[in-house]
Amino acid sequence: MNKRILIIDDEADIREATQLCLEVAKGWEVITAASSAEGLEKAAIAQPDVVLLDVMMPDMDGLETFEHLQANPVTRQIPVILLTAKAQATDRRQFTQLAIAAVITKPYDPLTLGDQILAILGKASH
Amino acid sequence: MFTQHHLTDHSDFIQLLSKEQQVEFLLLFNRVVDRIRRSLELSEILNIAVSEVRTFLHTDRVKIYRFEADGSGEVVAEAIHDQRLPSLLGHCFPAEDIPLEARELFLSARQRSIVDVLTQQIGVSSLEDGEVRYCDIRFRPVDPCHIEYLTAMGVRSSLVVPIIAQEQLWGLLVSHHSEPWQFTEPELQAIQLIADQISIAIAQSQILNETRLRAAQEATINQVLSLLHSLPEMKLQQALELVVHALNGSGGRLYLAETPTVLIAGHQPMVDLAEMNGFSKRRLKSSILFMEQHPYWQTWLDTEESAGGWIISDLAQSEAPAQLLEAFLAAQIRSALIIPIQYHRQFLGYLSIFRAAIDIERIWAGRIDREDPRQQIPRQSFETWRELRKNQAQPWTELDINLVQTLSHHFAVAIHQQGLYQRVNSLNASLKRDIQKRKQAEIKLSALNTELEQRVIERTTQLQKTNLELVRQIEQREREIQERQRAETSLARLSHQNQLILDSAEDGIYGLDSQGKITFVNPAAARMLGDEVDRFIGQWMHVAFCHAQPNEVPYLLSESPIYATLRTGTIQHRAGELFQCKDGTHFPVEYVSSPIHERDRIIGAVVVFRDITERQQIEQMKDEFVSIVSHELRTPLTSIRSTLGLLSSGWLESCPEKSQRMLEIAFSNTNRLVRLISDILDIERIKFGKVMMEKQRCNATELMIQSTDAMRAMAEKAGVSLSMHPISAELWVDPDRIIQTITNLLNNAIKFSTSGAKVALTAEIHAANSSEILFCVRDEGIGIPEDKIELIFDRFQQVDASNSRAQGGTGLGLTICREIVQQHGGKIWAESQIGQGSRFYFTLPLVSNSSHSSEDHYEQANSNH
Repeated sequence: MNKRILIIDDEADIREATQLCLEVAKGWEVITAASSAEGLEKAAIAQPDVVLLDVMMPDMDGLETFEHLQANPVTRQIPVILLTAKAQATDRRQFTQLAIAAVITKPYDPLTLGDQILAILGKASH
Repeated sequence: MFTQHHLTDHSDFIQLLSKEQQVEFLLLFNRVVDRIRRSLELSEILNIAVSEVRTFLHTDRVKIYRFEADGSGEVVAEAIHDQRLPSLLGHCFPAEDIPLEARELFLSARQRSIVDVLTQQIGVSSLEDGEVRYCDIRFRPVDPCHIEYLTAMGVRSSLVVPIIAQEQLWGLLVSHHSEPWQFTEPELQAIQLIADQISIAIAQSQILNETRLRAAQEATINQVLSLLHSLPEMKLQQALELVVHALNGSGGRLYLAETPTVLIAGHQPMVDLAEMNGFSKRRLKSSILFMEQHPYWQTWLDTEESAGGWIISDLAQSEAPAQLLEAFLAAQIRSALIIPIQYHRQFLGYLSIFRAAIDIERIWAGRIDREDPRQQIPRQSFETWRELRKNQAQPWTELDINLVQTLSHHFAVAIHQQGLYQRVNSLNASLKRDIQKRKQAEIKLSALNTELEQRVIERTTQLQKTNLELVRQIEQREREIQERQRAETSLARLSHQNQLILDSAEDGIYGLDSQGKITFVNPAAARMLGDEVDRFIGQWMHVAFCHAQPNEVPYLLSESPIYATLRTGTIQHRAGELFQCKDGTHFPVEYVSSPIHERDRIIGAVVVFRDITERQQIEQMKDEFVSIVSHELRTPLTSIRSTLGLLSSGWLESCPEKSQRMLEIAFSNTNRLVRLISDILDIERIKFGKVMMEKQRCNATELMIQSTDAMRAMAEKAGVSLSMHPISAELWVDPDRIIQTITNLLNNAIKFSTSGAKVALTAEIHAANSSEILFCVRDEGIGIPEDKIELIFDRFQQVDASNSRAQGGTGLGLTICREIVQQHGGKIWAESQIGQGSRFYFTLPLVSNSSHSSEDHYEQANSNH
C-alpha cells in the first residue's frame, strides 16, 4: 500500500532524515516542503495521503498552515499529522481542539514512524 | 387686896347701911370675892353670886340672865327662896322681852332699875363714867307694859343690874320678889359691887375659856404638827382626822392639787361627778376626779365672800350650785370651812371642814306667837314651853377660823416640805438608782472593756491576718495587673503588629461575618480592589468583588468557594479565579479562605488573596521558555535520533552515501545540541553569580585580536569581510568572558550578514567618560526591527527563527553577553536599521591610574607572545 507523504518542516536535517526514513522503511513517496507556503502549494498539487506538518516555523506556524489547508477545498480532506518539538501539556491542549488527525512529538522513533502513520490513518478512516 | 381696894373705894355706901347690913354685906362681899378667887368656873361663881345676893337681899328669887347675840337671853344662875317664885333657870326669853333700847341703856348708861309693881314706880340709876352716885335713884312711873309683864311673872318688885364684861352687855343680875320690896341705894350699890365682881369673874372666866380654847388649839396644832412632821412620812390622814375632831366637824377633806389626791375623814359630800360632768360634757375632761377640780367648785368659791378662806356657816344660805349643795345636804353637811392651802403664793389645795346640822333645844318662858298682831302687848303667861329647833347650822367661830387658817398654813408648809422631801427622796432614790446603775454600768463597762480588749486583740489578730492576706492579694493583684499590663502591652504591641502586618501585608486580607458581609479589609486588599478601605466595610463580599471563575463567568452565590467556607467551614485554596476591581476590570487571584471558629461555631471567614497577574505572566513566560527550550533541544535530537535510527536499522547498509550523510547530520546536530546546552548552563550560572569573573589586568588590543582570530574562519566561510581596529587600553576584566562576548557579537554579525558584507570590530575611549572603553561590532546585515531592539537581549528572542535555525544559533548568545557585561559593571545595547545593518555596543571600565603599574608587564608579556 503505497502512500504519498508531504513533510512540511523548516529544519532541513529533519526533512531529510524523515524522508529517508519513510522511503527506506515503507517505500512510500515522500515530498518535502521547507516552508508553509511551499507546503500548501505542494499539498494542493500532489494531493498527499497525509501531511506531516511541523508546528514551529518562522514564516507561518503549523496551526495557521493547518487552517489554510482546511480552508482550501482541495486540501481539506487530507489528514494532517502535527509534528512538534513542544512537549508541554499546555502546547498540546490547543491542538486537541482542532480537527487534526494526530500529534507526534519530536523526537519520534524513525523505525516505527511509518507504522504510527498507518495506525493514525486507519483510525481516521474509521 | 382686891376686896379691900374695892371696898375702900366704895366704902361710902357701907356707912349708909345698917350695922347688920354692913356686917352681912361685908360677909357677902368677902364670900363672893373669895369664891370668885377660888373658883375659875363661871357657873359656880354665878351660882354662888346669886345665892349670896339673895341671902343678902332676902328677896324671893335672884337670877343671872345672860344675853345671847340675838338679844334673847337665858337664865344661867338662880337662887330661889322657899319656892316663893317659880324657877326660871334654863329658861330663855325672847329678845323682845328686853327691848334693844333697854339693852343699850344697860350698856351705855350702866342703868340700873328698881321696879315696884305696887306703886308702879321705877327707880332708875345710871353710872356716869363709872362713878357711883348713891342718891341718884330717880323714880318715875313705870311703863304699864312692864308692870303687866312683871305681874304676869308673879313679881311685885324687881332689881336689875347690868353685868358688863369687856365693854359688852353680858347679862343682868336680877332680883325678884313676890311682895313689894324697897331697895335702898346702899343695897343697890352693894349689888352693883357684886355685879362688878361678877363682871370680873366673867372676864376672868372668858379669858380662862379663851386660854383653854387656845391651849386646846395649841395642843391641836402641836398634835397636827407632830403628825405632819412625823417621820418617815407625814400622817396627813391622821392630821385631817384630828383637825376635824378639834373643830367638832362631822367630816373633812384635804385636796392636794399637785398629785391630785383627796384625803377624807368623816362625812363627805355625795358628789356625783359623772352626773356633774354630764351637764357640760363638752367642756369637761374625764380627768376630773374630785369636786375641787370641777369648774362648779371654783365658780362657787368665786361667788362666796372670801377672807383667807371661805366660811360657809350655813350651806343652805350659800351660793353653792345646786349639784354641790345637794351633795352636801345629802351628807348631812350644813356648814363648811374651806381654807386654801398656800405656800407663799403657790396654791397647793384646799382644807375643808364640814359640820353637820344639829338640833337645838331651848326652853322658853312663855310662847310668843310671832304671827299675832298683839305682839306688842305684854305676855300674859310665862308658862314654860320647850322649843326644839332641828337641823340647825353650827356657825364657825373666830377661833375655829383662826385655827383652821393656822392649820392650813402648817399643812401648806408640811405639804410643801413633804413635796420637797419627796423630791429630795426621789432625787436621792434616783441618785441611788443612778449610783447603782452607774456601779452596774461600771461593772458592765469593765466586763465590756475586758471583752472589748479581747475583741480588739482578736480583731487585731484578724486584721493582721486580713492585712497579710490583703497585702498578699494586693501583691497578687499587682502581679496580675503587671501581667495584665504586660499582656495588654503585648496585646497592644501584637495588635499594633497585627495592624502593621495587616497594613504592610502585600497580600490582600479581608474578613467576613457569617452572612458574608465584609467586616474588615486591609489596605493592600483595598488597593488591589481599587477603593478605600471604609467603602468595603458592611458590604456583601459577593457584590463588592464580583467573584468570578477563571473563565470570567461569575460565581453564583451558592457555588462560591468562599461561601462554602462560611457554610461548611472548609478551607478553600484557589488560584486563577477573578476578583473585580471598582472600575470593572478583573484580576486573577490566588486566595485562601479560612473559617473563623468560635466555640465550635463558624462566625465568619478570613480571606487572604494576592493578585497573581504578574505571576501568571511569569509562569506564562516560564512555560514559553520551557516550551522554547524543549523545542530547541528536541529539534536537534529529532535529527540525531532519526539519522542514528536509520543507521542502526541496517537499512542503509547498501547505500554508503546515505549513511555518510546521516552521520554528518547526526554529528552536526550533536554539536548544535552541545552548544545549546552549554549556553543554557552558562546563562544560568552567570545570571545567578555562580561563575566567578577571574578579573585581571588586560589590554583591549589583545582581547580584540584574540576574538577576531577566533571568528576569522567562520567569516571566511560565510564570505564576510572581518576587520578590526584595536586600541591600547588597560582593562580589569575576565579576559575569557570578554573574548566570549566579542566573539558572540561577531558570530551574530557574521551569521546575519550575507556573503560579501563587512563586519567590523572597533573600540574607543569615550571622550565624555574617560573611565570607560566602548567596543562596537558593526555589520551590514538585515537589521533589527525597532520594536524588537530591546527584546533581543532576552532569552530565545531571535528576530527571525528561521534564520536562526539556518545559522544554528541557540538564541541565548546576546543574553549571555549582557550578563557578562553587567557582571563587569558595563552596559550593552544595540542600534539598528532594517536593511542597513546593526551596531552592537558595550562598555567596560578602564583600570584606574593606580593600577597602571602593571601595564608595562602586560605589554612585555604581549610582545613576548
